[in-house]
Amino acid sequence: MTAVPVAAKPIGVHWNPRRYLGGMWRHPIARAILKATLTIWVTTTITFFLIRLMPGSPVELKIDELIQSSNGAISYEDARAIASSLFAIDLSAPLHEQYLSFMWSLIHLDIGKSFLSSGTSVTSIILAVLPWTLFSVGTGLLLSFIVGIALGLLAAYRRNSLLDRVISTAGSVVSSVPNYLVAIMLILFLGVQARIINFTAMRGAYSPGLQPGLYPAFVGDIFFHAAMPITIYFLTQIGQWILSMRSATLSALEEDYVTAARARGLTDGRIRTAYVGRNAVLPLVTQLAISVGFIVGGAAIIEQIFAYQGVGLRLLDAVRQRDYPVIQGIVLLTTISVVVANLAADLVYSKLDPRIGRAGGAAG
Amino acid sequence: MSVLSVRGLSIDYLTRRGPVHAVRDVSFELEKSETLAIIGESGSGKTTLAVGLIRLSPRGTKVAKGEILYTKNGMTNDIRKLDDDDLREYRWAECAMVFQAALNSFNPVITIWEQFLDTARAHGLNDRRRVHDRAAELLDLVHLDAGRVLPAFPHELSGGMKQRVLIALALMLEPQMVILDEPTTALDILTQRSIIDLLRQLRQRLGFSMIFISHDLSIAAELADRMITMYAGRVVEHARVADMFYRPRHPYSLGLLRAVPRVSGALGSVASIPGSPPDLVRLPKGCTYAARCPYAIDACREADPPLLPVDTPQHEAACIRWQHVAEVLGSDAEIPVAEKLA
Repeated sequence: MTAVPVAAKPIGVHWNPRRYLGGMWRHPIARAILKATLTIWVTTTITFFLIRLMPGSPVELKIDELIQSSNGAISYEDARAIASSLFAIDLSAPLHEQYLSFMWSLIHLDIGKSFLSSGTSVTSIILAVLPWTLFSVGTGLLLSFIVGIALGLLAAYRRNSLLDRVISTAGSVVSSVPNYLVAIMLILFLGVQARIINFTAMRGAYSPGLQPGLYPAFVGDIFFHAAMPITIYFLTQIGQWILSMRSATLSALEEDYVTAARARGLTDGRIRTAYVGRNAVLPLVTQLAISVGFIVGGAAIIEQIFAYQGVGLRLLDAVRQRDYPVIQGIVLLTTISVVVANLAADLVYSKLDPRIGRAGGAAG
Repeated sequence: MSVLSVRGLSIDYLTRRGPVHAVRDVSFELEKSETLAIIGESGSGKTTLAVGLIRLSPRGTKVAKGEILYTKNGMTNDIRKLDDDDLREYRWAECAMVFQAALNSFNPVITIWEQFLDTARAHGLNDRRRVHDRAAELLDLVHLDAGRVLPAFPHELSGGMKQRVLIALALMLEPQMVILDEPTTALDILTQRSIIDLLRQLRQRLGFSMIFISHDLSIAAELADRMITMYAGRVVEHARVADMFYRPRHPYSLGLLRAVPRVSGALGSVASIPGSPPDLVRLPKGCTYAARCPYAIDACREADPPLLPVDTPQHEAACIRWQHVAEVLGSDAEIPVAEKLA
């Protein structure tokens, strides 16, 4: 409540911006949107300056390339003139001017064009790689979540049994190994030594020559190509879900309402799902939403190892070539999706847990 | 005809140090429409016994021996021998339990109505309309507004309301027997009073048997017909309420009575029992209460005394010095113990 003076209030409307903003700040949805916008703006700004602080600008890289490809026939001055003309942005302009014009375009939802793939818009570049990342990382995450929850629940129900020990130990081992190491070991053992899998054939998102479309051969092919990344995302994330679910289930099992439910003669199935499972999975929903937010960022190293054309690989290329607009675009996309996922997590959580997000009640 | 007959029940908790003998050789009968109060301090085995009666003991608990005989319509079953399905049926439909922690007895993420429905469905009642009518009727009986309580989530109700809802839920399947484990402990004194009055009304109306577990003697006395005093897992005294209050024969019962402050008593009349209960893993030789007992003699430390009739056949105490206790108290049966000793 704002402290509104009761007496001596002047007649007439006095526009007080602080009060209006204050009122908006109290509205949960307005506050969430305001916070999200602020987060996106701060991240974008930091990225803007950071990438320009990296040694070697795209113009210099282009100049070097031009001089080398002509075997010194082009002078530095000429090369510089050619290179500058290739870019839509004047990189010699002062930083703050570049920043203002960048923000101006961004407000108009224009992320710009790639420096290098002359004239291709950043949006179309991202749209070309995004589906593959969403597909591979998303499938891996979903599978690891479902299987991990089931195994965690099972381990908790059979606590201290051999099965529990196997599941929990495996969970903590796989969750502590970095994903690139898993990738390298898989290639080494399955590809190089045992020669079970032909990793060369699995490179890329789909086999060259196939026409993308929704027909069985192509769908099978994309799963074949994504199999290794999905397996690795699955293996490296499942441990976290197993361990979280196991401990959440163990504490739910200790709750009085579970004992009470048994005393009420409820069936084991009903207790497991509606009483133990539902309460245990609550804290994991937030974790899942955050992971979903990070899906679009892809996994740069894994995508590089398997030459899988996803967002992460594209980002690595852009960084290597100092393709500022593409870097900026991918970072912006990741930021937005993380922010949106967090908002969604809050919303979903308040739906799942009635104790959150409902003011007041019948308590007396 | 007794509804429940417990014979020689012993329950152990298995721990690293060895079995904790939480309940030792407990026997009692519960008659139809009767209320039996079980009293004792924390750790005396009251709750272990109560939970054991519906076989809901936590992991690592072992019922070492004994029988829990439940009788309905002339049919007697040993609860210990029921299979899982029959046990599930027995729970709540025959023997409902109102927990100590009633405040946390409801699943926080589903409404009260769903919890009524869950309970009904688990026992084969699938007609939502009839379940709803029954729930509304019961909530009315415990003086709650069904229209407001049923769609609510547990956190939207106060502690006293939750306790009433749990009592209503306990009566839904018309059980012969209701176990109440410290049902008023977490409540303020006015709410306690209303819950006790409510329980008395309900019992008169519906005629179920009650096992009332409490450390609060005054509340137990108001509701119970008979009383059992438990100490270190054993029944040390068993008597009608009036006998227990006016003529206790076990020094521990006497100690509990003296620990209750009275409105009419002087301030100095309240006395705690010195010492603490014995280690239930390594029980001392002889009477377990001897170390704290003001009347103990050498013979007390020789053998654990059996529960034997004193004064009348309905009054039993496990004490070889009961006659001495009787002498100390005198024969005046009109004045409650605490006042007499003040």
